[in-house]
Amino acid sequence: MSRLRDTVLPPAATFVLTTAVAEIAIRAAHVSPLLLPTPSAVVRAAVAHAPTLLPALATTAKAVAIGLSLSISVGLVVAIALSASRFVERAFYPYAIFFQIVPIVAIAPLLVIWFGYGMRAVVAAAFIVSVFPVIANALAGLLSVDPALRDLFRLYGASGYARLVKLSLPWALPSVLVGLRIAAGLAVIGAIVGEFVGGGGLGVVVLEAMRQQRTDLVFAAVLHAAALGLALFAAVNVASHFALRRWHSQENET
Amino acid sequence: MKRIGASLALAAALGVACGDTRKEQASNPPASPQPVENVRIALNWKPEPEFGGLYEAQRAGEFAKRGLAVEITGGPGAPVVQMVEAGQVEFGFAAADEVVVARDRGSDVVAVFATYQTNPQGVMVHASRGLSSLRDLFTAGGTLAVEPGLAYVKHLQKEFDLSKMTIVPYGYSIAPFLNDPQMAQQVFVTAEPIAAKRQGADPQVFLIAETGFDPYAAVVIASGAQVREHPERVAKLVAALRAGWRAYLDDPGPANAAMGVLNKEMDAETFELAADAQKPLIEDDFARQHGIGAMSQGRWATLASQLRALAIVDKEPDPRACWVEVP
Repeated sequence: MSRLRDTVLPPAATFVLTTAVAEIAIRAAHVSPLLLPTPSAVVRAAVAHAPTLLPALATTAKAVAIGLSLSISVGLVVAIALSASRFVERAFYPYAIFFQIVPIVAIAPLLVIWFGYGMRAVVAAAFIVSVFPVIANALAGLLSVDPALRDLFRLYGASGYARLVKLSLPWALPSVLVGLRIAAGLAVIGAIVGEFVGGGGLGVVVLEAMRQQRTDLVFAAVLHAAALGLALFAAVNVASHFALRRWHSQENET
Repeated sequence: MKRIGASLALAAALGVACGDTRKEQASNPPASPQPVENVRIALNWKPEPEFGGLYEAQRAGEFAKRGLAVEITGGPGAPVVQMVEAGQVEFGFAAADEVVVARDRGSDVVAVFATYQTNPQGVMVHASRGLSSLRDLFTAGGTLAVEPGLAYVKHLQKEFDLSKMTIVPYGYSIAPFLNDPQMAQQVFVTAEPIAAKRQGADPQVFLIAETGFDPYAAVVIASGAQVREHPERVAKLVAALRAGWRAYLDDPGPANAAMGVLNKEMDAETFELAADAQKPLIEDDFARQHGIGAMSQGRWATLASQLRALAIVDKEPDPRACWVEVP
């Protein structure tokens, strides 16, 4: 009970308060619904357009799931490869940064030419924007292994594989999970930008609603995307709770 | 005839505002010194021949002559209707269907000048496919790139069976079209087809207007409040635009050069070809009779009922409120 009070109550209170203030302020200022719809208008639009929004959410969620899975697997492999030697890291890491700074909006139209219209282009966009935080955080974790422990493994003649699986990866796990939390939100953004050019999902709902000047529907679609991001964030948190509770003291406190 | 009668009736209905305007213009001959009024006008696209009359009016001092200092702002993706409604700009460019939709959503914006009498939007296909109409295209199938949510796409969906088409978003790049001989895409007849031809493709265009959906395009809008409170300002702007367009249609060269400086992506030859291609869409028999940019009640009423039938607007719009006749 007290746990519920401590974790659910503060964000719920913030939500109720900000929504109420927004509703009252927008009504009082007589802002045009085209410029800024009231929260209640957004909810009405979400309910009225649920037959459009929910399948679109499912499509976007699928693309995000695939893109994020690719990011995690490719990102981890790349990070392990980069951590193998200083030389490899120096030679390739600067190019991994490319993925972080690539302006996804600018290259999105090209993704359509490379991968065709539809899901593949969308997955590619989600992957491109979400892979770098996985690489960067995993690499930082892998390189921060306690030198004393590394010496200990070497002293006992542990193989490279054993050092990786029994020492480096477990040691890097908290960093990897931090990377995942960042990547999860970015993958949603990437997928929606991908959908602007590749088609399908919430991205197209946003474009349609903008073109038809249904600002309330734009906000409703954005809320669905935000809910998707939050759900992924929560999933990563649950995963990290179960993955870390045996080892890492900070997870035992929460 | 019906259109003309309706617009005369509206002109009479707007008699108060119009009368003021005429008096104002009569007592202030264009060249006389008068306080300069600053107005901003927002484009919804890059400086291209669809705004030729505006740039010509600016270049030739048609605004200055009438006591207006016009600042041209906006650009691709600018939320023009919202900017006009919020008073960030006095005027802006939008499509006629956007005006009806905006009014349905509670925005008081009004059309004062319609550049294109015939809507310049169409669907571009590769001529090698040997298609002769939109119906042919929809029977043959293939990929069609259009901006999601366009009113005319809903119209096409209602008029034709589009089940054989794969509809994808248009990303303002003709590269996918050039890349795929089975691809079709939305165009402005004055833009993409010319670009595609210059890239070596053999494009063929079918106008949407031919299917019976023909909203005015490159329409100049103002807020309803401004039209009521500053009719003389609106009249000056429209008169200057008319003069600008007259000059641009006769010789687009100088304004094209001015726009070319601002829009370096488009070369001089493309400017020339586009200006030429749009002429018949701007100056048809109606415009010759009533003036460039003139509108009719009949056209607005047709558009309003079409948008209602397509469920793009939630309630029956009042076409009379969508536009004003500026003398």
